[in-house]
Amino acid sequence: MAKDPRETRIEDLPGPKSKEELEEMKMPYEEYCKAQFDPGNEFSKPQSLKGIRWLSTTMYIFTPHSVSNLAELGADVIKVEMPRMGDPMRHCAPFNETYLYPLHDSRPMTGTGMGYLNANPNEYHITMDYHLPEMKEAFYSLVKMSDGLTECYRPGTFDRWNQSFRFLQEMNPRFIYVWGGGFGYGPKCFGGSYDILGQAHAGLASVTGMHEYMGGHPLKHSNWCIDWYSGTQITFGILAAIHWRRKTGLGTMIEFSQVQAATRCLGYAAPLYGRFGIVRQRWGNWDTQLCAHGIILCGKSDFPDAENPQDRLEARYAMVSAFQDEDWKELCAITGMKDLMDKYKSNNERAEGEAQIEIYAALEKWAEDKSRGEVCKTLQDAGLLAEPVCNDREYYEDEHWRMRGTVRWMDDPIFGDILQHGTYASGLLSKTPRRLFWIWRPVGADNVKIYHELLGYPTKTIEEWYEKAWL
Amino acid sequence: MAEKRDIEINSRADTIDLMNPDIRPWPVTPPPSFEEVMEKTYAKRKAEDFGKWCEDNLRYEYCWGKPEALQGFKFVCCGQWRMGNMFCSGLLCEAGAEVIKVEPPGGDPLRKLTPFGREEYKLESKITGAKCGLDFLHEMRGQKSVTINLETEEGRAIYKTLCSQVDGVIDEMPPGYMDSIGLGYRDLCEEMPRLVYCNIGVRGTWGPYKDKMSKFGQWTLEPFGGCANAFIHNTGFPQDQLPRGKGGDPTRSGVWFADFCAGEQAANTLLAALYWRDEMSGEGQFCEVSGAECQNEILDFDISWYGFNKSIKARTGAWDPNLNQYEWNPCRDGYMMIGGQTDRLWYRIGMCIERDFPQFGRLIHEDPILKEMGGRNALNMLVKTYTLTTRWLRDINRTEAETKLLEYEIAAGPVLFIDELSEFPHFKYRPWVCTIDTDHYGTILFSVSPNAYAQATPHRTKVLGRPVGYDNYEILQKWCGIGQTIVNEYIEKGVM
Amino acid sequence: MCDIIWCKKDFEGKPCNTINYLDPYCFWNWEGTINCAECGAVYYIHMIQGKMYRGPEDRPGEKPDTSPLYADKPLEGYRFYGAGIPDRTRPFECLPRHIYLGVPDMVKFSIRNRPVRGWRPQAPDGGIAGSYQFNWDLKRLSPDVYEEYQQKIKNGEVTEW
Repeated sequence: MAKDPRETRIEDLPGPKSKEELEEMKMPYEEYCKAQFDPGNEFSKPQSLKGIRWLSTTMYIFTPHSVSNLAELGADVIKVEMPRMGDPMRHCAPFNETYLYPLHDSRPMTGTGMGYLNANPNEYHITMDYHLPEMKEAFYSLVKMSDGLTECYRPGTFDRWNQSFRFLQEMNPRFIYVWGGGFGYGPKCFGGSYDILGQAHAGLASVTGMHEYMGGHPLKHSNWCIDWYSGTQITFGILAAIHWRRKTGLGTMIEFSQVQAATRCLGYAAPLYGRFGIVRQRWGNWDTQLCAHGIILCGKSDFPDAENPQDRLEARYAMVSAFQDEDWKELCAITGMKDLMDKYKSNNERAEGEAQIEIYAALEKWAEDKSRGEVCKTLQDAGLLAEPVCNDREYYEDEHWRMRGTVRWMDDPIFGDILQHGTYASGLLSKTPRRLFWIWRPVGADNVKIYHELLGYPTKTIEEWYEKAWL
Repeated sequence: MAEKRDIEINSRADTIDLMNPDIRPWPVTPPPSFEEVMEKTYAKRKAEDFGKWCEDNLRYEYCWGKPEALQGFKFVCCGQWRMGNMFCSGLLCEAGAEVIKVEPPGGDPLRKLTPFGREEYKLESKITGAKCGLDFLHEMRGQKSVTINLETEEGRAIYKTLCSQVDGVIDEMPPGYMDSIGLGYRDLCEEMPRLVYCNIGVRGTWGPYKDKMSKFGQWTLEPFGGCANAFIHNTGFPQDQLPRGKGGDPTRSGVWFADFCAGEQAANTLLAALYWRDEMSGEGQFCEVSGAECQNEILDFDISWYGFNKSIKARTGAWDPNLNQYEWNPCRDGYMMIGGQTDRLWYRIGMCIERDFPQFGRLIHEDPILKEMGGRNALNMLVKTYTLTTRWLRDINRTEAETKLLEYEIAAGPVLFIDELSEFPHFKYRPWVCTIDTDHYGTILFSVSPNAYAQATPHRTKVLGRPVGYDNYEILQKWCGIGQTIVNEYIEKGVM
Repeated sequence: MCDIIWCKKDFEGKPCNTINYLDPYCFWNWEGTINCAECGAVYYIHMIQGKMYRGPEDRPGEKPDTSPLYADKPLEGYRFYGAGIPDRTRPFECLPRHIYLGVPDMVKFSIRNRPVRGWRPQAPDGGIAGSYQFNWDLKRLSPDVYEEYQQKIKNGEVTEW
């Protein structure tokens, strides 16, 4: 407000203040979004977590991803790996086919498998055999100058090496310490875990896949989804702890069980069992609560002549959704399911098991002589919701994701031309967007940068440690 | 223990309430005691000290006496139908924030959903009598419910006042809807420059493939996200293992998984933006997450693989194409997961199976290709390894397999169903499903937040479920200064 | 006998000695005939929950319903038949490409024809203690690939997407 309340100033009035603002207010919503997020210009904007430094003594996918989220949001991250070998995930590639070279100079024939991708972007990669007493000083120095650490060793391992939370807290009371693993304290404390174990053990597999009478078995979510999803939930714990530390100046320790995170997303399974004793089962490509709302098999592929079998054989599935009564009526009218329209009037009636079986069988019968594209187009033209089940190539080629900047090519400083679908896809921010500097670095690539430039060790010492394989 | 009593069953209706935890308490058998765990678990590893420290500092039961990380943060959540906004706001509530869930006067339609259309599996509020579906109830973790009809001018004014009180807004309405009624980010940001605003969508609220509505107004819901981002294409048994149409098809997740991915990243995005606001700039901003993108982000390397050599990820059922062993296969009473890829673990698995089934050792350990870690991952080798593993598994049940494999310290676990996992000793000890007493719905079994085990600020579920509009009076009085008389008028007029 | 069929028929003057693997998901509950990948003998099997309820019984002269995905010969150094060999094993259709390598694919250019470091060996380029800089000097380290790239640029093969 102006000092004199009688004075009217343009900036105190509601509405646009300049020609540019007026234009912005009139802009169609979509253009406005595009201008706000402005994909491709991330580097002209600041970073959300500027100034946070995190240590990552992690392996595989789950715990690395809890840190990669921070690194994409602007935290400085130091990833510590075992000398020469690196993270075991570096030795993992789909069907053993896809590697980027080199792992590091002394192993010219070994590469880093694509399995490592997206889990450790933007980080400085150093090596350290930190359980050696000789390396303790360097490790503790890093702890003193960092905000937190994520580790994934078997419980008690870091404690034996005098570097668990109860030791580090004394050196740095602001320290946020994360242990991520399979189970956490309790009878199965020392049980090892992987993504797939979480899916199996925690109930997710029991509700995914075709039902037994359809010929199916419990099914795994594609690759390591639960590792990634659980890692993201750790990030949430870390960010909340950082906010609390802003107020109190105190750190914390978070003990996070990846297996448990898979139980967390089971929705009504726990309350339904707890109250009624009903055990949730798998229900294939349909929905347990909505109908029609499922994926159907169409008669023909959209790309019958393609060379790639995924295009040629698999472009046959369409998601059809018409669970509201008007949509359902329209769907029945188009597909000639008049009798079913009269038989099942409400979503609750349609969602009954027997009804679903009958409805989807009729839909697949209707789609028997059609391609996926024809099915979708017919229903879309009638104003209904139907979309193809797309594959990776189709995702890559879709203009939508390119416009949003969530699929893009990047010129990696060490590894060259990489198609990238991580980082930008995890959320758009108009003022402090996520961004990607590099996909990963060779094992020990930043040893000089960290040990020499940050911790001040002479290069001669670093070389000596390297020769002894302490680094 | 509950007392014994006689019951009479004349129809199915008489059985429905028999499993109620008030009648049949959870867990049915008690979890192991601390002393047992100390003796059988920590002491065996010579980690008594460490084990005790963990239990003293991280135990779930102690969370109630500790502060909350996000105390003082406030959010408004305006979304319907989907899990994204529910999961996001639930996470924020568990961490201590206050979240108002704005619902249309009839309630979020998600409240009406119930498995297989069974009305009897909804729960009724003892106070208001309103029924609520379990999916909604389970994700309503402390959010307060306020009903507002955003189609009315008064309703929009109330909504705007609520927004003026908060740090962040979660918007999961159809693309451009809030903007079209003058309540989008660009309408609010001028008066509320510190506001962080996050859209959640399935494929997004802008761009050529943004979320659609049917001509009758039906929303795009999961699994449309998984269809767009190749998750479903990449999940399922191949037709080479099960016939197409009979299990060998691309398959969706059993839950609305892309929604959960979007919800957690939305929560992270909000907290990161708030950190930047509070620590550095004082400014709010506009954010967006979509289920399809957040889930695609976690599809490993799949799109990059296409950019490398035009490979299109193919589904591989319950086997992983990158690792051996890393799968589950059928056993006598279900399915057993086994994992161990490095030489050290690989040979341990072999030794374990060989003890019962000597032929396994011979055929697996002698084969020159299987001696090399990379070579083991080839498809042919998966077929061989898993055929022989299952030959062993088919004669034993899950518990036997788990016991044998754990003796060799192999990461192994059974495929468990919800009833089994609710009684699994570790899970009820920790606990990660637990009962909560609610004033509206009685005792409910729920999945505990995995962030609940922390030294300083554990997350916790304080409330589960909320009837529609239950907090109208409190919030309007406290946040908007609007008293009950006017609220009643609004309710009468359909504004609330 | 169980979910492998160890074929011991006489074949070309000696026992066949081939193990045909009946992979678990396909054969867990299955009834029909299957051939030996080596000698072609046809067996009838009926499996219920992974156990051989009936069989394997000889069905000479019958056309098999299916074939194993994989078979090997432990007595001959584990010589094997992988998936997709006509008349021996059944094909595995659900693959990421029309070809299947199973070994590292030596890639020098991405699908839009720009250099990507997907081949080995790479010329050493590290400094002290394995340190790396933040660039890849293709011209110096791999002049042949650099040349090939220049050709691709000239031919207009390098694209944006």
